[in-house]
Amino acid sequence: MDRLIRHRWIARGAWRSGSAFAVVPAAFLICPAVAAATQGHGGREGLYVHQLSHVFFCISMGILIYWLRTRNLTREPGWRYIGIGAMLFCLWSADAFIVHLLEEQTAIIDVQRIDNWRIRLEAVDGWGWVRPFYYLAKLDHLFCVPALIFFYMGLRRLMSDAAVSGETAS
Amino acid sequence: MILTAAPILLVDVAGSILMIVFSFLCIGHVMKLKRGNPTNLIWTYLLWVCTALAAFAVSRSIGHILKQALLVSGHRQAWSGIAAYSGSVNTFMLTIVAAITLFFERIWNIYGGIMKDQQALRETHDKLVYVNQNLERLVEKRTEALARSEKQMAQADRLASIGQLSAGIAHEINNPLGIILGYTQLLMRGEEKENQRYDDLKTIEKHVRNCKAIVEDLLNFARSSKTKKEMIHIPETVDEILDFIRQHSKLGDVAIDHDYDAEMPSILADEKKIKQVLINLVMNARHAVGTDGTISVMTRYDVGEDQIAITVADTGYGIEEKNLSRIFDPFFTTKSTGEGTGLGLSVSYGIIKNHGGDIDVESAPGQGSRFTIRLPAATREKKRT
Repeated sequence: MDRLIRHRWIARGAWRSGSAFAVVPAAFLICPAVAAATQGHGGREGLYVHQLSHVFFCISMGILIYWLRTRNLTREPGWRYIGIGAMLFCLWSADAFIVHLLEEQTAIIDVQRIDNWRIRLEAVDGWGWVRPFYYLAKLDHLFCVPALIFFYMGLRRLMSDAAVSGETAS
Repeated sequence: MILTAAPILLVDVAGSILMIVFSFLCIGHVMKLKRGNPTNLIWTYLLWVCTALAAFAVSRSIGHILKQALLVSGHRQAWSGIAAYSGSVNTFMLTIVAAITLFFERIWNIYGGIMKDQQALRETHDKLVYVNQNLERLVEKRTEALARSEKQMAQADRLASIGQLSAGIAHEINNPLGIILGYTQLLMRGEEKENQRYDDLKTIEKHVRNCKAIVEDLLNFARSSKTKKEMIHIPETVDEILDFIRQHSKLGDVAIDHDYDAEMPSILADEKKIKQVLINLVMNARHAVGTDGTISVMTRYDVGEDQIAITVADTGYGIEEKNLSRIFDPFFTTKSTGEGTGLGLSVSYGIIKNHGGDIDVESAPGQGSRFTIRLPAATREKKRT
């Protein structure tokens, strides 16, 4: 009985002070349920996040190319090389996305490592052409290394142009 | 389908190493660019991109090399434990590179704004330095220009007042002179030519005509006389008056040079009056140089001001400073009595002003004189109409 009186007094006090916020936590206390504040990240989330990062990377490189072109920077050799590098990075990202898609997200192709130097590629019926495509797509460094080389060439050209205008230290 | 894995393995490992090498070479270049101009925001942006690319290349390449090394050496289990970490870091770095790349437009716009401000600041600084270094000279120059301008304005005011007065008097005198001349000629008709009275009337007629010429000059000075403007080419006009002077004036050892601007446009002017002005100036110069000297006539076209300039310079005895402000006054002359009426320069002044132009003089005793006439080119007249 005493406890009930005390509870009433507390509720009246909270109400009197005009603080409705005190009521909300109280409601949670009255009606408890299973906590669902955090979500688990097991399963295939990692792959999806990686794939999304490839899409994001591809789009950002595409936007960079667009900006370079709209500002007529591609007329300057340095920025033109950087633009070509960005385009190759776009292609690399798309290539890597497709490889992950074929390898891990779909059951179209099955890759088995026989030993250190041989692999077996199996495709579902009607998808035989995917095997050579996958094999070539697996050589994704043939896009990303030239992309970096073009970036390097572009920066070297920007440096020599800056040297001509007396901007660099070297 | 069994295929060799060697190309994939080779490209994977070699490509991974090359990625690390080139990404760090890129950083090296950007660092040099940044050292050259640390305030350049574009180099800072490229440094971010290259650093992120290098971090991505390292994370990805190490993962790939490690994977191939562990699989070839038969440690598949060990790779399974590392793969998740390697893939996660790889994904994170890829996202970072993409995110930084998207800053390009904002960075470029800020850089453009900074460059514009820098340019404006540099220009202002250069101007300030110039003004600071040349302050005394500029003030002196401006003061001189102001004093000259004030003097010119005072002279123009004075000449305008004199002109108004002269015009009034000339108009009042012109009519009685016309009547005197008319009656004189009427009386002369009734007299024999050998008669003394005829000779007396002839003398009256001659002096009345002289008076009328002076009145006409005063009207010219006062800009009251009518002008008949037409398109004229100044070099041709100058040639004509120089030929006239060479033929009718004993030049002796006096040389007359001329130098015409090849781009000289035509002007809208009363040729007769312009000739009168030029003859006045050249004859004054002829008088100033005496028996030996040079008279130069030059014409120039000022494209910016769209006006022509005719300069008559001589190597004569020049004009004293006290007389410089009075030379355009009517009846002012330094010549002996009977040699000149003192109306030549006044009339020239009036004619040039009547053409919308200006005439000024630079002279120092012993250094000759230089009269410059400026007249609007015909192109400006066309624009006005």
